[in-house]
Amino acid sequence: MTTLPTTQPISEDPRTPREIEMPAPTAWPLVLALGFTLLFAGLVTSQSVTVLGAVLSLAGCVGWFREVLPREHEEVVPVVPDDTRITTERRIVEMIPIAHSARAWLPIKTYPVSAGVKGGLAGSVAMAVLACTYGVLKAGSIWYPINLLAAVDYSESLKLGPTQLYSFHADAFAIALVVHILVSALVGLLYGAMLPMFARHPIVLGGLIGPVLWSGLLYTCLGLVNPLLASRIDWPWFIASQVAFGIVAGFVVVRQSPMPTRENLSFAIRAGIEAPGLTPPREGDKRP
Amino acid sequence: MSSNAITVPGVQIDEKPWVDILHEWVTTVDHKRLGILYIGYALLFLVVGGIEAIIIRIQLMYPHNDFVSPQVFNRMFTMHGTTMIFFVAMPILFGFANYLVPVMIGARDMAFPRLNAFSFWLSALGGFLLYFSLVGANGLYGAGNAPDVGWWAYAPLTAPAFSLGHSSDYWTLALLVSGFGSIGTAINIIATILCLRCPGMTLGRMPLLVWLNLVMSGMVLITITPLSAAQIMLLVDRYLGGHFFDAQAGGSAVLWMHFFWIFGHPEVYVLIIPCFAFMSEIIPVFSRKPIFGYPVMVAATICIGFVSMSVWAHHMFTVGMNSYANSFFAITTMAVGVPTGIKIFNWIGTMWGGRIQFKTPMLFSIAFLFQFLIAGLTGIMLGCVPFDWQLSLSYFVVAHFHYVIVGGILFALFGAFYYWYPKFTGRMLSETLGKWHFWLFLIGFHMTFDLMHIPGLLGMPRRIYTYEPGRGWDTLNLLITIGAFIQTIAVLVFVANLLISYFKGDKAGNDPWDAWTLEWSISSPPPAYNFASIPVVTSRRPLWDMKHPEDPDSRYE
Repeated sequence: MTTLPTTQPISEDPRTPREIEMPAPTAWPLVLALGFTLLFAGLVTSQSVTVLGAVLSLAGCVGWFREVLPREHEEVVPVVPDDTRITTERRIVEMIPIAHSARAWLPIKTYPVSAGVKGGLAGSVAMAVLACTYGVLKAGSIWYPINLLAAVDYSESLKLGPTQLYSFHADAFAIALVVHILVSALVGLLYGAMLPMFARHPIVLGGLIGPVLWSGLLYTCLGLVNPLLASRIDWPWFIASQVAFGIVAGFVVVRQSPMPTRENLSFAIRAGIEAPGLTPPREGDKRP
Repeated sequence: MSSNAITVPGVQIDEKPWVDILHEWVTTVDHKRLGILYIGYALLFLVVGGIEAIIIRIQLMYPHNDFVSPQVFNRMFTMHGTTMIFFVAMPILFGFANYLVPVMIGARDMAFPRLNAFSFWLSALGGFLLYFSLVGANGLYGAGNAPDVGWWAYAPLTAPAFSLGHSSDYWTLALLVSGFGSIGTAINIIATILCLRCPGMTLGRMPLLVWLNLVMSGMVLITITPLSAAQIMLLVDRYLGGHFFDAQAGGSAVLWMHFFWIFGHPEVYVLIIPCFAFMSEIIPVFSRKPIFGYPVMVAATICIGFVSMSVWAHHMFTVGMNSYANSFFAITTMAVGVPTGIKIFNWIGTMWGGRIQFKTPMLFSIAFLFQFLIAGLTGIMLGCVPFDWQLSLSYFVVAHFHYVIVGGILFALFGAFYYWYPKFTGRMLSETLGKWHFWLFLIGFHMTFDLMHIPGLLGMPRRIYTYEPGRGWDTLNLLITIGAFIQTIAVLVFVANLLISYFKGDKAGNDPWDAWTLEWSISSPPPAYNFASIPVVTSRRPLWDMKHPEDPDSRYE
């Protein structure tokens, strides 16, 4: 470890003033606070306490005003000589001479937010198709899986009887639609953010293993959260629909063109403001 | 002159009489002293609230125990909840914000120093007013001498017919007074951050602690006001014959619930966001890496600020709201987990690949990460309406929110104490005692609050005075109480560490952690004016730039 004194003591800085004006101490805020409190405390003690509180409040206000008007009351504080030095115990590391931008611009490219949303929405269609197929083939009604989905969040769906679960309910349909699209878009966003992390086999990892793990998590906790719903779910079909979602979402995201990361650019550039001279070029800036 | 407090090397200063010292502290408008006053006052109430918790736990240690009467038990849980939220958690976080925000943005004081003092004294006197009820409310036979309506004070419990005497009035007035203090402090923090940043410190370069306190203060302005309005309405009901919350006269008890929880739930975020701020400063320094995803951390915080304003009625799933309202609040409750999860990922991302130093502040921070994650997961579970219907008002809920408040907020606060104590006092806290404190508290915490979920799942209701043996709760409650005692021992170790280190701790120097934000560039403790020369910053890590002029962050931001 090496200690590097890298700056001179502050007291040696010729720009340092010898005295600094600071707000002067005063008791008036305390007097006003006490008066204010007693004003209220009088409601539960005695009228005389309220009167005392009113007097103190008035005195506090007057004293405070006189403290700041016509000119704020300040005191002069002498600057104390200080030998504070800015040092570090960080190891000195020989830096390999590389392009200066190599450190901070990683990752160089990533998928845009829209790629994740598109992937999520495409995945939601695949998932819905499989779920509805299940409804028609296995349950005998396309509305059955939709009512079940709504029951995740909508307690009226929980009250539906065995026969009602197979019929159309506008409110349940609307809520299921919103939940499905919202969650799909969010999971798609997550895919968009995570897929660049998987250097190899992005669709297998992000689109297959991920949904299986997600299904496993739901399998363990859905019975706790909603036993009724858990008892009616057909797990093989549910897992198949999750996998379909993952593969389609992952496929759509990967097909989008990655774009250069822009997190280190100024807000003006990211906002698309094209005004010459607004953002001065940085030294050695070679970013696209 | 406040300069009297400054120690000048090589200059002999006569020891001042204690009256003069007291006068200096009482009349101070210095943000650092007010910050310490806030923290000291909160620690005092932490001891009081802790004693109340121990009384509750002793009462529940065995079935059919009668350590205290049912009336005293009701007062204990009411005062414990009220004290811990309003007179411990809020003031201690305001104390840290008061001390740290100006020194982290290169300012000499808060924007309104006198308002700062006024706000502190209002908050403090509010707490004393609450506890004066132990003396002042005992004027009516059978009325009781302290608030006993729970910290939510649901209507109609607070109606004159059910709350005799003045105990509920003391509760109302104390929160009203301290609430005005909180609003004053929030205004001050916002004005300071927006107006007093040093040259070069753009919003994009502000330390995350400052950003998060800005969001927290904005939330305080929005959330305290409905609570204050509700308190005034309650006073009108009790004193002027109003019927806001009197269901028999056209009022609505549910109205109080809405007013309370539109304050109450965002309040959780008001308390946890400054703790996120501590984590965002401590974890990078002890991982020896800059924070991962700074812009996303800021965006996630703002997102939490907005979304958390729309989740309040998940506390009211069992009152009979319609299904649309239940669905809305369930969805928003789930949604607030998204930005919170982003933060957890980013803290882990910061640690990933870092050269982690397991000093005491970092130990508390790592424990925070795991415990807050679990607290968030049980929160998501309770956000599911059917689950909440089964376990609302059970000890599962008590375990959940103590996981947030103790496992999250208190652990983060302890980490902050160990991290910034050297700056506050110029002395290091003992690492040995710190590790004893950490491990004892960790064991006690998990023994208490992990186990507390189980009696909740087995049907033990919250606020129950005692219980029948043989329901499967007996051993669990005994272990929970033992865990509470272990936590008490840990807190005593902490207090001993604070006191011993103040007098005998190692000298800290200005920058004991080799950190990167501005407060570490000035002496410990800082002089009254903080900075002799106002600094100029060019990146988010100004001290890194000063320490590494060959490789400054400003080159990359």
